[in-house]
Amino acid sequence: MRWAALIVAAALVLGGCAERRDSAGPVTLVFKHAKILGPSDPLPGLLREFERRHPGVTVRSEPLTWTSDEQHQFYVINLEGASPTFDVLMLDVIWVPEFAQAGWLLDLSPWVTREELAPHFPAAVAAATWGGRVWGLPWNMNVGVVYYRADLLAKYGLAAPRTWEELAAQAQRIRAGERDGRLDGVLWQGKQYEGLVCNVLEHFWGEGTVLLGDDGRVLPHVDRAEEALTFMRGLIERGVSPGWVTAGDEELTRRPFGDGRAVFLRSWPYALDLFEAADSPVRGRVGIAALPGHAGAAVGAGTTGGFHLAVNRRTRYQEAAVELVRYLAGEPAERALTAAGVALYPTRMALYHEPEIVRLRPHMPRFHDLMLAARPRPVTPYYLMLSTTVQPEFSAALVAVKTPRQALEHARHRLEYMLGGIR
Amino acid sequence: MTGRQRADRLAGLAFVAPAALTLAALALYPGLWVLWLSLQQRIPIFGIARFVGLDHYAFLATDPRFWNAARVTVVFTGVSVALELVLGLAVALALERQRRGRRLALSLLLLAWALPSVVTAKLFEWLYHPSAGLVNLLLGRPLNWLGDPALALPGLIAADVWRTMPFVALLCFARLVTIPPEVYEAARVDGAGRWATLAWITLPLLRSILLVALLFRTLDALRAFDLMYVLTGGGPANTTETLTVYAYRSLFQTLQLGFGSAIGVVIFALVMAVAAGYLRALRREGLAA
Repeated sequence: MRWAALIVAAALVLGGCAERRDSAGPVTLVFKHAKILGPSDPLPGLLREFERRHPGVTVRSEPLTWTSDEQHQFYVINLEGASPTFDVLMLDVIWVPEFAQAGWLLDLSPWVTREELAPHFPAAVAAATWGGRVWGLPWNMNVGVVYYRADLLAKYGLAAPRTWEELAAQAQRIRAGERDGRLDGVLWQGKQYEGLVCNVLEHFWGEGTVLLGDDGRVLPHVDRAEEALTFMRGLIERGVSPGWVTAGDEELTRRPFGDGRAVFLRSWPYALDLFEAADSPVRGRVGIAALPGHAGAAVGAGTTGGFHLAVNRRTRYQEAAVELVRYLAGEPAERALTAAGVALYPTRMALYHEPEIVRLRPHMPRFHDLMLAARPRPVTPYYLMLSTTVQPEFSAALVAVKTPRQALEHARHRLEYMLGGIR
Repeated sequence: MTGRQRADRLAGLAFVAPAALTLAALALYPGLWVLWLSLQQRIPIFGIARFVGLDHYAFLATDPRFWNAARVTVVFTGVSVALELVLGLAVALALERQRRGRRLALSLLLLAWALPSVVTAKLFEWLYHPSAGLVNLLLGRPLNWLGDPALALPGLIAADVWRTMPFVALLCFARLVTIPPEVYEAARVDGAGRWATLAWITLPLLRSILLVALLFRTLDALRAFDLMYVLTGGGPANTTETLTVYAYRSLFQTLQLGFGSAIGVVIFALVMAVAAGYLRALRREGLAA
């Protein structure tokens, strides 16, 4: 008797876990996305509007933690487990080729034409396509930029720097003139994490080289890459950047600059909204410059980032899911990203010159130009393998555990070994 | 065996069955699956799934990054557990002597231990802040705690000691208050001084509880992940990358499911070996069956 009761109870518990869903009848789409930071979240309003336009479709929005690593982990576990528990997902641009190659994303090519992608920034489109197919729609945009203290540069009669060498000299000159021990020169992200790769890539580009060549070769010009790393190390050794940038991430570097304690900061557009906040000590005193190049080498470019929208290949509601993605990447929805209190930047270029948006955010046209000139990180399915392999090596060069040459040789050796059997 | 005994036995098995089945489903099955994965090269993004036998283990044997991670794990575990035991014991002894404010001290201790480790990590991020951090303010020197290869691991160890020392302190304290005062009186009558009492009465009586604390803390420290993950990301230059961080990076960041599982199996073997050693010691103490 007792046995039977136990078995029945167990069956009830197990049966209750497996939720039944029929494809007929009302459709419920589950949308997994990064938690939207900032005072105002545009998503709920957009999703309700979508539901209003598509009777019978309900969208359940399920935010993930905002740490990029944790989102990636969640997706990997659930998509590899072929779980259809969500239909639409928001993903970091660097994951798109990887997820596409893994067969986790629905190929959007039958629905989305090239013309539909044309209004988005080229760097965003490049990151959404892989192997000639479209795997995601661009949603928001990020770009590496240099902030400078316009008031300080003006005081010393300096114009925004065009090369890193010029930038370092300006920082030193202003620090010498100000005689303020608490004023740092250049802040950037040197912690061993993804942000470091963005910073190093920008120096590589400024030296006219890349991490991954078009022919698939890793570090095709080691000499120029060495120059770049040596320069970054030199910023610390010469005191242009404080030693702690080797542990610095976005927020750790954003705060001192926001408190008026640094001349230059390499960061992302979100920081400007905070610098221009009503209680900010540097309000109205911050200039935006493009990432400089290196003297005698190449023009600089910022790294792009941002989030794309894609459809789980295992979804039971392909049509509705694709419809939702196209709606969120559409003009009216992306316009909502520019509303007051939303700290996101759209991927649609035209929005950056709309008079009513520019009135609210006067810096939009400037960001437009920087985003247009920006470059994506290597668009490849094995980007994360590439990135996590070079992170410790770049870090080792910055903290002088290895010489830049050694670090690069080690990175190349390891990458060639790891990727050798794959390509 | 009488019919009554047999019925009791059956009922006993029936009551154990759900727990045993749950354990098998939750621990044994995934464990075996990870072991099986570790014998394969499996990288879903490249459509690679093939049996490679012990190749991953052979690669690990010559992988400098693996040996670095193993060294970091052992140093982190050894130093932080040793400090936690010594400090925890000292705090417990101090608490026992203290009459006034004991409750408050106990709650403060619990607070440090009860904080989620990510919160602790964030807290230390600010304490170690290069320019505004309390630690550098007190030291009067702008040390680069989390960005200097020589300071990052000690910095993490200090955070771990702060977080888990209370656990050891509370365990020891709980044992201390159960030592009957007569024992101490007897020692005093025999002419034992303060140090002699500590060395010959208190410490021997605390031995078994210290072993239990050591077991818990060592196993925890060997699997340490969150502090380094949040504070340093394994950097700078991998000086704080433990085996668990290496396994995580391989598994979830670069999706080398087979290779990452192999590191996981090594961690599991390490933890099991240490646990077995402790359990033997505990058995000698007559604490474990």
